[in-house]
Amino acid sequence: MKMPRITLALGLVIAAVLQTAVLAWMVIDRTRLLKTGQEVVLPILPVDPRDLFRGQYVRLGYDISNVPIALLEGPRPTPTGVLYVTIAQQSDGTWKPVRLSGSKPQTVGDKQVVLKGRPAFRFPRENATAVFVRYGIERFFVPEGEGPRLEDMARDKKLSVLLAVDGSGTAAIKGIIIDGKLQYSERLL
Amino acid sequence: MWYRARVERDLRRWREAGFITDAGLDGIRNELGQRKSGFGAAQAFAMLGAVLFGFAIMSFVAANWEGMSKLMRLVILFVTLWGCYAAAAALFARKHEIFGQAAIVGGIAVYGASIMLIAQMYHMDGNPPDAVLMWALGALLTAFLTRSGAALASALVLGVVWSVYERSITDAAHLGFLAFWLAAFGVAMDQKWRPGLHLVAISLIIWLVPLGFFILGGHGHWVPLAIGLAAAAAASFGAKALDNVGPISPALFVYAVGIAFAELFVLQFIDERVMPTLSQPGGIMALVMLAIVSLALLLAAMAWGVQHDNTGAVWLAYAGFALEIFSLYVKTFGSLLNTSLFFLVAALIVTGLAWFAYRLHNRNLPAVS
Repeated sequence: MKMPRITLALGLVIAAVLQTAVLAWMVIDRTRLLKTGQEVVLPILPVDPRDLFRGQYVRLGYDISNVPIALLEGPRPTPTGVLYVTIAQQSDGTWKPVRLSGSKPQTVGDKQVVLKGRPAFRFPRENATAVFVRYGIERFFVPEGEGPRLEDMARDKKLSVLLAVDGSGTAAIKGIIIDGKLQYSERLL
Repeated sequence: MWYRARVERDLRRWREAGFITDAGLDGIRNELGQRKSGFGAAQAFAMLGAVLFGFAIMSFVAANWEGMSKLMRLVILFVTLWGCYAAAAALFARKHEIFGQAAIVGGIAVYGASIMLIAQMYHMDGNPPDAVLMWALGALLTAFLTRSGAALASALVLGVVWSVYERSITDAAHLGFLAFWLAAFGVAMDQKWRPGLHLVAISLIIWLVPLGFFILGGHGHWVPLAIGLAAAAAASFGAKALDNVGPISPALFVYAVGIAFAELFVLQFIDERVMPTLSQPGGIMALVMLAIVSLALLLAAMAWGVQHDNTGAVWLAYAGFALEIFSLYVKTFGSLLNTSLFFLVAALIVTGLAWFAYRLHNRNLPAVS
């Protein structure tokens, strides 16, 4: 473990720089996604409508979480591998899954968005009809101090999330929409 | 400490018998006095203190950042991170080795907490093991750059947590761990820190022993069993060649026998779908065969340990033997033998073992008559 003092100090500086870089990259990548990603509004399914914003975080459920396996195109994905779900906007403005694949689709139609996810459990065997997909947008950490306000507004109201989706299919929560109005918007920094 | 007290006792005896001179006695005492003890209580407490400091700061920040902008929070995280590493540099410069190591561990704790807090700030909800991997790699990098044993130990703990987490989700062998492990092995070799090599070995064992549950339909225990037996054979028959590199064969032998016995144990008592059960035809025969192989392995390990002064192997064999006998008793209770017959068989085995050990012992002391 013996090391010249200068080398050790230099090693510590490099470690600090690289770790800082990793953390900064997390932030920069996320702000880029929030700033430039395509916006999609999805209604939230009431997982537990009471005390929604009281806890530390909220579990969010979506219609598009349940994807019929009949939509699968191409080879069967590995049990825990990445999935791509193409969702298409319907005439009433809602989004529905229209394609499921193990690799990213080359072409995306008009009013279609590709989301990257993973099976919540394992990819089901032959006879299952649907796969439950997690897109990484299922948890909303309630910002400090915002809980009671959101809770009051959310009572018996229609809730939606505003998402930002980038070209790779990664989605991020950009805001919370209550009764059609953007009531909470994620600050970038 | 025990070692020094024991040597001191022997030294006095040897001096009285005239085996060593007064000069030799002083020389040995001097050498022992200069030796640093391995891992003391001061070190352990300093490390724990550092980790607690790290998490205290983080939970204070997390609880009090209401009204703070994200930028402000990030600044606090980064300042704390850099503060830890700066403190480490300052402590090492003042030759406070132990506290310097503790500060490095504190920095690694802050780095991991920052990953979690940033993920929370931006509602990131990806694959959780990936975050642990990111943390583990950061720790390993610090271990490489600073040759800090404490950082290496942290990295190995995190690496194992990553692998266990990943396996619990994917239910797969998780070969990716081996890449991380190889990197950690390289860092440990570079550090030339013996306890580090032990930790590296133990982390691989934690990955290897349950491997059978994740391959070949969940019943692939033969694979790690074969690996353990092969490693044990290599450590015993290839001891000379291995020890050219360094004195590694004794520890390798103990670990390898441990792996092999663990797999035999799984086959006999845990993964009961592999072998026919006792009520099925051939079930008793299968159990008896496996039990004989297990006991033979432990007996061989004990003989080897006695012959080569490998205390670890002897203790492992004792413990394994007790565990094996006890488990056999529990499993066969009421089905194979009645209790008294069981104890009779066990007693015969143990007495045979004692006789064997006695013979071996006598053979080792040919000159004394």
